[in-house]
Amino acid sequence: MFKVLRDLLRYNREFLFGSLLIAIILAVVVASYFAPYDEMMTYAVIPDMPPGSEYWLGTNSRGQDMFWQLAASMRNTLIFGIVVALISRVIAIAVGLISGYVGGKTDQAIMAFNDTLGALPNIPILLLLVFVLRDQMTWPVLALTAALLGWTHDSRLIRSVALSLRTREFTRHAAFSGMRTTQILLREHLPYVMPIVFFTTMNNLIWAIGLEVTLSILGFSDINRPTIGGMIYWANAHSAMVAGIWWWIAVPMVAVVMLFIGLFLLAMSVNEYIDPRSRLARMGA
Amino acid sequence: MTEVLDFKPAVTQAQDVLTIRDLKAYYVNDMFGVRREVRAVDGISLTVRRNEVYGIAGESSSGKTSLIKTLAGAIRPPMRVVDGSVNFSFGDTHIDVYAEPEKMKAARWQNLSYIMQGSMSVLNPVRRIKHAFNDFAFRHMGLDRRAFRQRVESHLQKLGLDPNVLEAFPHQLSGGMRQRVTIALATVCEPEFIIADEPTTALDVLVQQDVLGLLKEVQARLGSSVVFVTHDMSVHAAITDRLAIMYAGRLAEEGPTQAMFDNPQHPYTAHLIASLPRIGDVSTRKSLAGKPPSLANPPSGCRFHPRCPIAIDRCSKEVPEMLPSAIGGRVACFRAGEVAVK
Repeated sequence: MFKVLRDLLRYNREFLFGSLLIAIILAVVVASYFAPYDEMMTYAVIPDMPPGSEYWLGTNSRGQDMFWQLAASMRNTLIFGIVVALISRVIAIAVGLISGYVGGKTDQAIMAFNDTLGALPNIPILLLLVFVLRDQMTWPVLALTAALLGWTHDSRLIRSVALSLRTREFTRHAAFSGMRTTQILLREHLPYVMPIVFFTTMNNLIWAIGLEVTLSILGFSDINRPTIGGMIYWANAHSAMVAGIWWWIAVPMVAVVMLFIGLFLLAMSVNEYIDPRSRLARMGA
Repeated sequence: MTEVLDFKPAVTQAQDVLTIRDLKAYYVNDMFGVRREVRAVDGISLTVRRNEVYGIAGESSSGKTSLIKTLAGAIRPPMRVVDGSVNFSFGDTHIDVYAEPEKMKAARWQNLSYIMQGSMSVLNPVRRIKHAFNDFAFRHMGLDRRAFRQRVESHLQKLGLDPNVLEAFPHQLSGGMRQRVTIALATVCEPEFIIADEPTTALDVLVQQDVLGLLKEVQARLGSSVVFVTHDMSVHAAITDRLAIMYAGRLAEEGPTQAMFDNPQHPYTAHLIASLPRIGDVSTRKSLAGKPPSLANPPSGCRFHPRCPIAIDRCSKEVPEMLPSAIGGRVACFRAGEVAVK
């Protein structure tokens, strides 16, 4: 494991750059736990201070230090993304493996549902739910809703692998020796699809964060809880660009772009590492 | 649990372990309202005795694999058993495979194991060898983890494998070693009945000899019965005691291997044997014209008659029955014994 990581860092520039960006983000997230004041508090510091030695990233018109605001936002946004990714992974794996292995009518039924859900546009559904639930729409509920919308592509991907696995000899062997379906899925097939799961997790994380940012910018979330999108929402609400407080907009934007590029580079390099064909190409074969 | 393991009766007389009666298994396809039957196994009766290697030979698509899948109770739709019965008797346990599926399930691996076709891919490429043993054999042995591990290790050693292979992934082993591991996997529970579906295909001749020797040795040590399927007649000559020739879903001939090679009764058997090269013989091998018939629409009468050089009118009208042959076996041919392949 460590050897793989070391080699990736040494020979794969995308991986090195990606992990550097993510490391910076994670450092900021860790810093959020050492914030000198509560993240929800307003007018804790002098408002509208430009970035400088006292306030590294400046302060906003609500009297919040941008650095601590960013740290808390990054943490909340990341946690949201990870929760969505984890829940939707569990669903995607279960649906993909079962659908691919069981096949037949079950497969058709599950995939019909899967494709229908996948074809529905996500943002309007979420907006509708936000309007309906209003105050009950806390971030865990939002995360759950997003997770229930975000597994369809990956379950199809996993199903396609499971379709091939079910006809392999080792599956027939396992069935012949009397393993139950759940055992076959968990012990024989799950290890096989794990690399795909790792890769799709990162893509899903990016998607989930993008969703959160979109909804928050529009104000469709708990606006008092600092998130990346929420920061931009407040900046717009105070006309930060007109008032010349550019750092209020710039800080969350730069941070989220760093996060996206970092995750994307990691996903790409890990995918390249997992795919034997591109690994061979890298070796010069 | 040791009592259960010791319970297996000693190999004494040549009793029948497997009895198949008039077995018919078809691939039934219902598509767009058109029912299509592919008669892969069409009325086969045979018995396999204790402590013998029973060979099944035939061309590709003659129904060999379908037959053994059916007798192992490992069939899936669209394949269906239409008629007939398969009976195993392991010691005092008698199992009617298609009437008592639960009993059959319990017997698998413990009494009956299967070395599958393409057994190179029987091992999961992303899991270590020890996991294959745990997954497939552990529950059938009734041992605790440590005793099981010891048992597996000593079994591997008997088969000439280093116990360290348990920690390896399949891709780290050579083809021959993987084949040995598969055989070890199939024999670790010391089953009374082993089905081997082309276990030597895709191996080079040296490894092939090695694997055959190993299989024979395991069989002799356990006193179990082996059903050995391959299209390779030279492998049959090397390993089997009795041989059955399949043609288009039916048995053409069955008998003691040696006698059959010396004196084939069925014209098809004669052609299969004549196709084997022999050292010192430089004449060109003759191949049989035509190809095996479609099992969805087989020819009338004897299914071999369109390709048979000595066919008579009767062959296309009546189906020949399996009758005792001159060499102590059975043959389904109206002109049995009148073989002329020179």
